[in-house]
Amino acid sequence: MKSLLLLTLTALLPALARGASGYIGSEACKTCHADVWSTFYRNPHFRPPAPDKAVTGCESCHGPGKAHVEAHGGKATIVAFSELPPERILDACLACHGQTISRANIRRSEHTLNGMACTSCHSIHKARTPTRLLAKPQTELCYGCHANVRAQFSMPFKHRVNEGFMSCTDCHNPHGAFAPTWKTAVRPRMAQRALANEEPCLKCHAEKRGPFIFEHASVRVEGCEMCHFPHGSPNSRLLRRPVVFTMCLECHNGLGDFGRAGRGVPNPAPGTVSHNLADPRFQNCTACHVRIHGSNSDFYFLR
Amino acid sequence: MRTAILFLSMASLAIAQETAAPTPERAGPVRGETWNGYNIVNSIETGYRFAAVGGGDDAMYRSSVNYGNGIRLLGSYFTMNSKDGRGRWLDSVVITTQGLGNDPYESASLRIVKNRTYHYDMTWRRNDYFNPGLVTGGASGNHLLDTEYDMQDHDLTIFPESNLKFFLGYSGTSQTGAAISSIQPLGGGADTVPLFANVRRVRREYRLGNEFRVLGVRMNWMRGWEDFKDDTPFTGVNFQRVEPYHGTSPYWRAALFADRKIVGVNGHFTYTSGRRAFIVDETAVGPLSVAPRSQQIQTSGDAQRPVATGNLNVVIAPGSKLTIVNSSSVYNVRTSGNSAFTQFDNGTHSFDALFFQYLGIRTFANETDLNYQFSPLLGAFAGYEYSDRRIRSIQFSPQPADQTNILHDGRLGIRLRPAKGLTVLVSAEAGRNNRPFTPAAERNYHALNARVQYRSKDLLLAAGAESDYRFNSVALSSYSSQSRKYFANGSWNPRPWLGFDGSFSRAHLYTIGGIAYFESFPSQLSGSSLYISNLNTLTAGIRFAAAKRADVYVAYVRTRDEGDGRSTNPNLLFQSVQTYPMAFQSPLARLSLRITEKLRWNAGYQYYGYSAQFYANRNFRANTGYTSVTWSF
Repeated sequence: MKSLLLLTLTALLPALARGASGYIGSEACKTCHADVWSTFYRNPHFRPPAPDKAVTGCESCHGPGKAHVEAHGGKATIVAFSELPPERILDACLACHGQTISRANIRRSEHTLNGMACTSCHSIHKARTPTRLLAKPQTELCYGCHANVRAQFSMPFKHRVNEGFMSCTDCHNPHGAFAPTWKTAVRPRMAQRALANEEPCLKCHAEKRGPFIFEHASVRVEGCEMCHFPHGSPNSRLLRRPVVFTMCLECHNGLGDFGRAGRGVPNPAPGTVSHNLADPRFQNCTACHVRIHGSNSDFYFLR
Repeated sequence: MRTAILFLSMASLAIAQETAAPTPERAGPVRGETWNGYNIVNSIETGYRFAAVGGGDDAMYRSSVNYGNGIRLLGSYFTMNSKDGRGRWLDSVVITTQGLGNDPYESASLRIVKNRTYHYDMTWRRNDYFNPGLVTGGASGNHLLDTEYDMQDHDLTIFPESNLKFFLGYSGTSQTGAAISSIQPLGGGADTVPLFANVRRVRREYRLGNEFRVLGVRMNWMRGWEDFKDDTPFTGVNFQRVEPYHGTSPYWRAALFADRKIVGVNGHFTYTSGRRAFIVDETAVGPLSVAPRSQQIQTSGDAQRPVATGNLNVVIAPGSKLTIVNSSSVYNVRTSGNSAFTQFDNGTHSFDALFFQYLGIRTFANETDLNYQFSPLLGAFAGYEYSDRRIRSIQFSPQPADQTNILHDGRLGIRLRPAKGLTVLVSAEAGRNNRPFTPAAERNYHALNARVQYRSKDLLLAAGAESDYRFNSVALSSYSSQSRKYFANGSWNPRPWLGFDGSFSRAHLYTIGGIAYFESFPSQLSGSSLYISNLNTLTAGIRFAAAKRADVYVAYVRTRDEGDGRSTNPNLLFQSVQTYPMAFQSPLARLSLRITEKLRWNAGYQYYGYSAQFYANRNFRANTGYTSVTWSF
């Protein structure tokens, strides 16, 4: 009997302690916040009511509500996220959402360093997307700060983001990413990665992954953006130049200490007149060097 | 409930999409139906889309916009939620679709959740991509065929909220239809034209994993297999080629994560053993090229590329003001294998053999970032990265070439929050790379970035400037790149039924590189490649709702590259490719009218106009639009 009493007391103590610390349960909230309460079952944060009020219900995020009720409302008497600095919002959300590998770098992400908090993009009670509780559709959220990227996706040649086929998070992790391993520089900072910590481009463009017998070394060493604008371009195939040969020859000039052997990147077939670049047919290098990303049967990427 | 759904309806008006359809509005005050303890909300928009294209290059329209005529399920939305969070098999279902029924951009998503038990996500996407290739032969060739990309992802998480989770996943991609091939019949003196072939490429990835927690450290591992095959055949006159290319890339990923108040550690490690086996069997008989040809080429072999990568971050926060992050990353890749390329010539009974090339890259990088918050008003950050990359390869000679390059990169910046909602950021970065791989890679560079933003409940104003300069002068060649970007954007929603948004951005790009080229024999060493772009983009939109019955959205997007200001393009080798002035504009208007509580009628119009100043034969203009009805409950 004494054991049973002790067990009951032990079970009740946390709840009693919370009562003493101001937890009163979510039922008290619906009197004033009926609009939030009545549809909260549609929210991913909704869980069936549990005895532990600090774990489920409104107070699990907004803290003890007793003082708030007694004061008949007010943002000073409860944890109001609209009043919190970004660091505290981050702390509050990461208490549950931090234990996920995809958010492992959120505290060192560019977004966090620039003063953004979870509520800059997510709206818990007024979400406008069916999933992920976004405050706006994803592209509009990102464009809100990255207007120059919006301009890039308004180019005639672009990845189909505005059309709804792709989204920013196909290639980027807005919660922060590990440093890219495929480059020496620290940029890009928030890129999602494909299979083997590769550039995100290869998630879709798998045929360009290889391995190839004859790799176009600059693709493997410097990455796709050496030749392509990833968002959008005025040039077809998202190329950095309107005409192919100028882009190729910027590297393939045979000069300097660049390239695999440090003796310069090879330039077009020395001594041949077949590459007369005054002739338009030779100005599009990839018309012949079609396997420019890598080939299994031709050193010059001709097949 | 009505209030909430009404809010969703109104809120969705703020969507400033670039395409006219589907209509983002949710029709009327959607009520939702209750069924067996679940609340169900549904919205379906179906209608007819039209496109009238003219002005020159239809192919250009298809490659950049590609909407056509026909009946579509423009968009749909379905949710089902258990009202007590204790559904027997599921608690939440969300389905969305867009463009089904032959739009070039189709997608569907499905999410099913049973609280604390499982979480399933599926996305499916299809893109009918028109391959611009080389538009050479008019309307009767293969060039008017589309390449169709299908992509799907399935992810199932068991016990998503526990300390012991299990993951199962599948991703698939297929590419079918016309795409550029690697066939180039060299006609005697004629242009060289790569042909299109019906590609058949399939990628499949299977994965399973687990996450658990031990001694406060969360561990995550995943085992996956990626299969890829390309079975694109080509059969032409006097020519046939088959080149099956199959391979698999099994991989391991492991991650650890521990977040403590003072010290946090997280890491991510992968090992992928990629392998591709291939055969090329090409037979050419008779007069095919400049000269009669009778030869067979056979290549077979397998390429292997094991890749090992790792990231390890250590976060130290000795106080509430200071955070130190040290990040290390390593990347090790080798491309090796066995291959013999044999080209046999029937005429001379001779053959050439060419063997495999080796390429290995090993990169190590270490980065340290410091963040200090002096006060709620002022914060500062600084960072330094050291990176060491070694490249070994066998190219022309059997002796391996070996080169190393080292990068030093530093950056610093400040953050200001002078008032509530107002943030200012200024940062700078500079780097030195002693031996980049290519002349155009980052060698000596610096970047500046400044941004100011004000955000309140109904107003967002932001402006910024970025510059990225790269000066890569070396002894015999030089490469210089200057990029400057400026932008300003804002949105204002003074009333729930009225909103404005707009942005302007300007991007200036100037690059010049020394190049060697061939105008005739011998090669010319004094040329330079100059490219100048001055790109301005303006977007503006206004939305309003009239008497809770009609929603109107009007928007305009204009992108213009001014080039370097020249009005005509000289027909000279380099000057003709130095700049590419063009304009692309797309005004849009959309109307959604409530007919009954559950039914709306929608209509939209969008114009696309493309104008390249020097290449008028690529211009097009297109009038597109749609009319549809939306049924919701």
